[in-house]
Amino acid sequence: LSICSRTVEPLEYYRRFLKENCRPDGRELGEFRTTTVNIGKCLCSITTADGSALVKLGNTTVICGVKAELAAPAADSANKGYIVPNVELPSLCAERFRSGPPGEEAQAASQFIADVIENSQMIVKEDLCIASGKLAWVLYCDIICLDYDGNLLDASVFALLAALKNVQLPSVTINEETGLSEVNLKQKNPLNIRKHPVATSFAVFDDTLLIVDPTAEEEDLATGTVTIVTDEEGRLCSVHKPGGSPLTGAKLQDCITRAITRHKEVKKLIDKVIKSITPK
Amino acid sequence: MPLDHRRLRGPEESQPPALWAATAAEDEEDEEGAGAAPRDPCALRPLFARAGLLSQAQGSAYVELGSGTKVLCAAWGPREAAEPGPGRLLCEFRRAPFAGRGARGRPGAAAEREAEREAAAALREALEPAVRLGRYPRARLAVSALLLQDGGSALAAAVSAAALALADAGVEMYDLAVGCALCRPPAPAASWMLQPAEPEERRAAARLTLALLPALNQVSAVLGGGRGGPPEDWAQALRLGLDGCHRQYPVLRQSLLRAAQRRDAAAAT
Repeated sequence: LSICSRTVEPLEYYRRFLKENCRPDGRELGEFRTTTVNIGKCLCSITTADGSALVKLGNTTVICGVKAELAAPAADSANKGYIVPNVELPSLCAERFRSGPPGEEAQAASQFIADVIENSQMIVKEDLCIASGKLAWVLYCDIICLDYDGNLLDASVFALLAALKNVQLPSVTINEETGLSEVNLKQKNPLNIRKHPVATSFAVFDDTLLIVDPTAEEEDLATGTVTIVTDEEGRLCSVHKPGGSPLTGAKLQDCITRAITRHKEVKKLIDKVIKSITPK
Repeated sequence: MPLDHRRLRGPEESQPPALWAATAAEDEEDEEGAGAAPRDPCALRPLFARAGLLSQAQGSAYVELGSGTKVLCAAWGPREAAEPGPGRLLCEFRRAPFAGRGARGRPGAAAEREAEREAAAALREALEPAVRLGRYPRARLAVSALLLQDGGSALAAAVSAAALALADAGVEMYDLAVGCALCRPPAPAASWMLQPAEPEERRAAARLTLALLPALNQVSAVLGGGRGGPPEDWAQALRLGLDGCHRQYPVLRQSLLRAAQRRDAAAAT
């Protein structure tokens, strides 16, 4: 009898499940974990932030808080505002993260989010400009992982999207005579979100099998990861494949198809939550 | 400000929009403060505590005060330490950048790091007497607190959450450390108030944070300062704080009990 233990030989343990086309937690290879999202006025909303959202993908919990501030636009892009994403992996989300400045994984995730915002044109920076050359909005998007159980990128993109949909910016006018800006905190407008990108992550096992939404354990055993970002028109925004085992074109196409389906699921979820919190 | 190479850079400087709306908003706030009925100084805000909610940490706790303060804390049991000697408790306190009401805190700035270090030292001071460090020689216990929203009394909530998280992780403790904050408004004959909200804390002339081990009736930490008045006033404030801690204790114990029941139910299925 060969006793295959989850802690002693995790890879063998997983292989036995993958042969039957399922995973130890009961999911199929193409199935996502239960996704829940809490936006704004629901519980665990951050009232000090201009927009906030909490996303749970199984055990992975990510909270995103957006704070809007005013600044002068950069000299070379006088009609553009700023969006500054910042992904933090504090030591409380998993044992392997140390306290202190952001490590490699956090920096890579921040850069990925910045790329997603830029490539998908989710928010056009020109929309954030109030007066060309003088005043523009800065959106600081702080994404903090509270519980790391794999698939950080999907949860972060989802949390960012949900939080941005919830942001209400006060209206700002520049007084013609004095040249000073006047902020009206009573009158708030939502952001103009043009595209809704959704990320879908896959882990590659043994160079051949693709499983969607890996947990932390699966990520450790995987030989590579792929993240596909699509927008609502079924168009590809970005493909993130940081090294790992090579993929054939056909496999990549499968991933893209699954990502498009996932986008529809996520969009439905976000719309449902937003409808439930908007006052009638 | 030195460049932070590990984070994406935004503009050099930015201001919160509330600055430019200063005139209108401040009038409103003052009106609110003066016109509102003075609140009962001994009233405790509703407290919500839940233990055992993070999957990756051995013990975790979430505490939310009625004024909006939200603290999440995780604790890890004894791990091997490199240096010989008695067990050590390592505390960490972090503020989320969106936690404050005004400008966004810049993570990594020296001022932020100083404040976090101070708070971590205060946490350690409050928790050490409660933990049976003698039972864990050559080990280190880690506690990490994250402040998600600051609505006043943040350090006190962090102390309670950290003690809950340690207990949830199964670390042997003498008792739970319960934190309570007080403040005294600047008016000349004002009295101390329990668990101030953020605007009250900002305008306070003196602030005090207490940590108590209620079952043993021993105070583990007292932190505070300001223009409080004669020493009898401070003694009276301490008594008020101790009473506040005693009143919060049952809620925290109940949350631990419920977490243990949930864990049992999950293990049984």
